[in-house]
Amino acid sequence: MHPFNIREALLAKHAQHVVLIHFPIALCMAGVAFDFVAYWTKRSALATAAYYNFTVAAIATLPVIATGLLAWQFQLEGEKLKGILLQHLVLGVVSSAMICLVWYVHFRSRRAPEQKLPRYCLAIELVAMGLVALTAHLGGYLSGVNISG
Amino acid sequence: MRRWKVQESKSSRILRIIILGAAAVPSLVLANGALRPRSVTAAQEKPGTTTVTIDNFSFAPVQLEIKAGTEVTWINKDDVPHTVVSDDHKLFKSRALDTDEKFSFTFKDPGTYEYFCSVHPKMTGKIIVK
Repeated sequence: MHPFNIREALLAKHAQHVVLIHFPIALCMAGVAFDFVAYWTKRSALATAAYYNFTVAAIATLPVIATGLLAWQFQLEGEKLKGILLQHLVLGVVSSAMICLVWYVHFRSRRAPEQKLPRYCLAIELVAMGLVALTAHLGGYLSGVNISG
Repeated sequence: MRRWKVQESKSSRILRIIILGAAAVPSLVLANGALRPRSVTAAQEKPGTTTVTIDNFSFAPVQLEIKAGTEVTWINKDDVPHTVVSDDHKLFKSRALDTDEKFSFTFKDPGTYEYFCSVHPKMTGKIIVK
């Protein structure tokens, strides 16, 4: 497979999920970092940057969920999942929901007259990051990136 | 006198059947008990079976030569679920096998059969049936 063969790359069903997952993870991590720095330094520009990071992260979760579900249908023919596969699926859906929730809290706070991000949002962001890390760990384990030898 | 003899022979025949039947029941039970371990041993030592181990994201042996009619059993010794799917996606296809789970398939026709793990398509193997 040639690295720049677009057709082959796009039709590599299962591989798409593994590729696309990096986008929401990275954007979410950057968003959390921007929010915490914005909170400590009181710089609204960083809070705005965090908002846009979470916006794109929330959008990026959609193709990730879609490709994950397609991988389940194509590779395992939608069979009843158990063990690590089921844990990864459940955690993945919950993580995506948490990213969307963080974006929504940001969205609402920006529409409020005082435009101030509630403190609890930072706690939600930390929980979301924890879930994302756990999901990613299981995903990495399933994909075999930790293979020895 | 003659009638009595006939009656005696009939009753003795019935009695013989009862005795033989009664003796046969425990004999069959004992025979069943004695035969059972032998049949398990026979199954364990079945000449037409072989095993492929799945471990560390690979099939071992990667290539296997067998005789037609041999049953191949894949056993997943990895911590991660794997599948065993023939290249044509039709001949054989296992469910996702968790740790220590098995999948078996009997290769009846000679030929070369390539297979892979659908969760990790880079994991491939080959069965050569002669």
